[in-house]
Amino acid sequence: MSVAELKERHMAATETVNALRERLKQKRLLLLDTDGLSWELRSMNLAVATYARSQGKTPLTFGPTDLVCCRNLQGHTGKFRGGLLGMLTYEVYSLDWTAEKNRIVSASQDGRLIVWNALTSQKTHAIKLPCAWVMTCAFSPSGLSVACGGLDSVCSIFNLNSPTDKDGNSPVARMLSGHKGYVSSCQYVPDEDTHLITSSGDQTCVLWDITTGLRTSVFGGEFQSGHTADVLSVSINGSNSRMFVSGSCDTTARLWDTRVASRAVRTFHGHEGDVNSVKFFPDGNRFGTGSDDGTCRLFDIRTGHQLQVYQQQHGDNDAPHVTSIAFSISGRLLFAGYSNGDCYVWDTLLAKMVLDLGSLQNSHGGRISCLGLSSDGSALCTGSWDTTLKIWAFGGHRRVI
Amino acid sequence: MPSGRANVGDGGVQYSFAMEYHGPPITRHLPRAVPINVDRIPVAAVVSQGSLSDKLALPVVQPILASDITKNFSKELGLGSECLVSPKSVISFERQIGDDDSVSKELLLGLGTETTVSPNSGPSNHDCRLSGELSCSGTLEINPDGRYGSGDFSDVINSSTELGASTTSHDLSKELLAGVGSSGTLGFSDSFDKSRDLSGSPSEFGVSNACKESLDINDLSQPDWASTESILSFDYPSSRVSSLQVGDCISEPACDERRNLVVTFRDIESEDGDLTEELNGAEPEITGLKKEFEVRAKKGTCYRCFKGNRFTEKEVCIVCDAKYCSNCVLRAMGSMPEGRKCVACIGSPIDESKRGNLGKCSRMLKRLLNDLEVRHIMKAEKFCSMNQLPSEYVCVNGKPLCHEELHLLQSCPNPPKKLKPGNYWYDKVSGLWGKEGEKPSKIISPHLYVGDPIKADASNGNTQVFINGREITKVELRMLQLAGVQCAGNPHFWVNEDGSYQEEGQKNTKGYIWGKAGTKLVCAVLSLPVPSKSTYSCGEQVNNVVSRPLPDYLEQRTLQKLLLIGLSGSGTSTMFKQAKILYKDVPFTEDERENIKLLIQGNVYGYLGILLEGRERFEDESLNERRNYNCSRSPGQTGHADENDEKTIYSICPRLKAFSDWLLKIMVSGTLEAVFPAATREYAPLVEELWDDAAIQATYDRRKELEMLPNIASYFLERAVDILRPDYIPSNVDILYAEGITSSNGLACVDFTFPQPASDDVDSADQHDSLLRFQLIRVQARGFGENCKWLEMFEDVRIVIFSVSLSDYDQFAVDGDGTLENKMMLSRKFFESIVTHPTYDQLDFLLVLNKFDLFEEKIEQVPLTQCEWFDDFHPLMSRHRSSNSNSNSINNSPSLSQLAFHYIAVKFKRLFSSLTARKLYVSLVKGLEPGSVDEALKYAREILKWDEEGANFSLSEYSMYSTEASSFSH
Repeated sequence: MSVAELKERHMAATETVNALRERLKQKRLLLLDTDGLSWELRSMNLAVATYARSQGKTPLTFGPTDLVCCRNLQGHTGKFRGGLLGMLTYEVYSLDWTAEKNRIVSASQDGRLIVWNALTSQKTHAIKLPCAWVMTCAFSPSGLSVACGGLDSVCSIFNLNSPTDKDGNSPVARMLSGHKGYVSSCQYVPDEDTHLITSSGDQTCVLWDITTGLRTSVFGGEFQSGHTADVLSVSINGSNSRMFVSGSCDTTARLWDTRVASRAVRTFHGHEGDVNSVKFFPDGNRFGTGSDDGTCRLFDIRTGHQLQVYQQQHGDNDAPHVTSIAFSISGRLLFAGYSNGDCYVWDTLLAKMVLDLGSLQNSHGGRISCLGLSSDGSALCTGSWDTTLKIWAFGGHRRVI
Repeated sequence: MPSGRANVGDGGVQYSFAMEYHGPPITRHLPRAVPINVDRIPVAAVVSQGSLSDKLALPVVQPILASDITKNFSKELGLGSECLVSPKSVISFERQIGDDDSVSKELLLGLGTETTVSPNSGPSNHDCRLSGELSCSGTLEINPDGRYGSGDFSDVINSSTELGASTTSHDLSKELLAGVGSSGTLGFSDSFDKSRDLSGSPSEFGVSNACKESLDINDLSQPDWASTESILSFDYPSSRVSSLQVGDCISEPACDERRNLVVTFRDIESEDGDLTEELNGAEPEITGLKKEFEVRAKKGTCYRCFKGNRFTEKEVCIVCDAKYCSNCVLRAMGSMPEGRKCVACIGSPIDESKRGNLGKCSRMLKRLLNDLEVRHIMKAEKFCSMNQLPSEYVCVNGKPLCHEELHLLQSCPNPPKKLKPGNYWYDKVSGLWGKEGEKPSKIISPHLYVGDPIKADASNGNTQVFINGREITKVELRMLQLAGVQCAGNPHFWVNEDGSYQEEGQKNTKGYIWGKAGTKLVCAVLSLPVPSKSTYSCGEQVNNVVSRPLPDYLEQRTLQKLLLIGLSGSGTSTMFKQAKILYKDVPFTEDERENIKLLIQGNVYGYLGILLEGRERFEDESLNERRNYNCSRSPGQTGHADENDEKTIYSICPRLKAFSDWLLKIMVSGTLEAVFPAATREYAPLVEELWDDAAIQATYDRRKELEMLPNIASYFLERAVDILRPDYIPSNVDILYAEGITSSNGLACVDFTFPQPASDDVDSADQHDSLLRFQLIRVQARGFGENCKWLEMFEDVRIVIFSVSLSDYDQFAVDGDGTLENKMMLSRKFFESIVTHPTYDQLDFLLVLNKFDLFEEKIEQVPLTQCEWFDDFHPLMSRHRSSNSNSNSINNSPSLSQLAFHYIAVKFKRLFSSLTARKLYVSLVKGLEPGSVDEALKYAREILKWDEEGANFSLSEYSMYSTEASSFSH
């Protein structure tokens, strides 16, 4: 078979797939057409919002003092490039809260994991990593250990209580190696200190058994229904920890069942750029995504439909990328960090932007790279490429909606 | 220079504002400005940062205006808080006015201007009355006042714009400008705005947190504008001063004049007064200013909440000496990334007088925070680079040290304790150490290469007796005499670190100075140092600079990162391994070798599998051929021809066949890695047998037809029998050839230094070179491209080494979107995307054209024009080509491959300069030859060196530190 012939066949196959995908979309929209809403609205994915409005829901309002930056965590130190450019900054790449709500772990390009006490804004641990290029970190549900992963393709587990050596470095408690690409994201399975799911640049997600250090199952990879590009993010369903969702550079998000590694339960199309961040909705039936195309979307895992798009209209084409998202405890608010340093608070129901943290006082000076809500929902922590993390909390009183 | 000007300037502002203003408009505006607060507060914090730090440089001096202030204060209190305004804020505001006024007064006096200083001695009024009172004082000195006002004007605008002062404040100032028509007022209006801010905020916010914060910030920063503004205006683009300038233009010359005057002040003051401890006779006006900061809060109260008295426990900022009570300290100091500094002081060098306290924790912090937290703060305080002793402040034998030298000094086995900034002398031979012009104070480790050679008058002795070229002091001479050393005739001694001494020019040791028991006693009486016991025999280790571990803050600076990237198959892995073998004493540890061994063995099974697969194919083919042949010959006899014809030269015996089938099955199922390392021992004999089998050898001879089999497979297959032995230890060459050693994970890095040249005349430049550490980072190419998420992680690399395999020009690979494309074109695409990546837009690129050895062979057979990018390659030797005698063209002086290399290099260079308008460096490499890789990496080092020399040609040779140095110098 010649190259040209192969090319031709490939083209034809791609076309078929696209046509089928389009048909699927049409069919979905048709199915959604049960409440007599006009076609335009549906196609704009405003169905939910319209319905909500018709039910008399009004968007939330936020004043500039409702969310206040109450802590500024500094401690990731400067990067040095000799010569012309002098001091650079070490971007904070990832953060995670503990379950018991007052501690944060953050990973930065200075090659350190720092564990913060969010109440005093002090460091309790600073772990120097063997590989400085760290991309993700996570707290174990018990708060006793932290995991991190990065370009070394290894997910390392550190025990916070283990004694440090003479330089004050903690030894690696466990190395989870097996990925063939960088580890882009990791999350502990809720309530289990021994299981962890990672996503990787090798197009797979892996469920690990930490006690043995072995892969329990691999999602994607050589199997047909896996991601076709780097997986950037995972999120485990809080109410059913067997289900998790992954977002990838192939612009899709996929839903997986940890018991069925062979194929994805469902694939969610819709984004036009890399899906940088996925996060389960608190009720576990929906999940949100954030993408390089500048939008956040809300998908329903049971129907496979896209419920909502959160998009700020930008004049030019290059909308800032969404780097990270998080939901409030009730799910009414969606926090989304953008590559231009904005951090929007969206009303998930009405798809309206209610607040931009970037416009508040003490906001970050660089790209928001990660954000997370404390487990009790009382505080939001944002990490930025300006080397700092900031904790935001409600500054005012509001009536319950 | 800047801060001095600002001092005057600030005085001027206040002064002018005191004079020129009339009351009514302000009172009217006061309430209106209140809502702006929120916007303005945060930015004020930003400025205050600078201000506090600057403040630092000013010496702490005695309060002069105490009476004034207290008067203010009491009056203010007497007035009571007539509105909602919190008394605190008003107080501080008032005080400030008072202070500034008096400062300006003093300045005027100091300048010797003819003015009889402003009679407005009653600045102690509440804000509303302020304006009127100020205006009344104005009449006398319109001229100087205008000057000050205008000079300051730009500064104030700067600060206000920096502050992001909201539009309202601008409006206000404009109105004011219109009303009074003088630039002085403008300055005033601005500052007034700020102050109003202060007073306004409480009423607006009640007791909310934010308000507290803002109040605090304003309080802290306001008086310091005096000093910061200078800095701000210094680097302030004039365009941003914007429309408000209108009034200012008129008085521009006056402003300049004022600056000239101030220069002198600043000079005196900028000598790092408190550091060199020379500033005792400083100007009174400076003292006034400093004091103002000191006394802002009532003595002994917390700087943030103004509560408490001098007996309440407080934590002190190690930069600005601000004191905070236990309720405020966490707020005021935040997360303390550099130890106990107020948030605004982070990033500023510490107060040298507090160096002794670094890392010593107070009880208060221990109470507030838990152990782990305290430990981290103290560690940060001691070890963060900002808090380190600035090396330029320590002069040894008249030469300021560089970072490395200082570190050497501090980390030697017997370091000078509690090293303070200053001038020292150091006797490298004996280890004697002392302050310049004084007797020795300590004996430290000898033979440290720090500073210049010692001078004869280092300790200012006048005895005409010399030790190691230094004229000793009388005390030392006395000691020598008591120790029994013959000092008649003004001898020149040569004293070693162990105390043995000899006269200059003589070989025999005359004795040991510290040998006698009494000597130590004498030394103690004369307060001269004696060597500590641990001093001896450490000289050698100390000099081995490279092997010593560096502290974190230094390590980062000296480490130069080289990023090595290229598509997979471009030889980056080989180069990386080569570098490891070249520069590391132990390139691979035992464990690594063990892993590599398993990997190589696994690879060999893989190659064998490919061979066996090929064998089956060849067998089938030849069988088919034979059948067809048979068929065509005798169509009826196929039935029993089978048994006879089953054997071809590719057939193997059933036992081997079983093994082969099993191996192939494993390969298909993709579990080769899982099975093989363990099964190696078992199957090694079989492999040996297999390899000796004629069928395999026949297949091996046709290996060119097996596309799956990599080039290097033959290297290993020919050694297969040895390699599969359990006791096999991979040699460096084996490792070099092996696939997949570094590519199994995405990233590998190795730290190395270039070995020092063998010659032992190490001049200082060479020594400096050897201090440079390099880190070669090699990343796997997979997943590169436009949406590559992690290229920006490597923004701190100094140079990108981009590797392209020359032999790729006729190879094809699958693109990201599934289409088959020429690998050279893929490399080019990748090159373009990396070069234009915003992270690397200022970086140097070194293009490594790799695999030249393969290329040399290939180009003789396959024309370079196979790749569409190179379709205009028509080398000069086309005559030979047309005659189809490529292989003979070696007779030509530049070979075809050489020409092709230059052609490709130029192609890339053009591409690069069209994309970036810079110069691309190109190097030719044969990855498997150590010398060639070494050359390429040294070339990269040279490029970095040129870079630095080009950038800092006027600065010291330690250009790496130049940025750091400049940040200390103001």
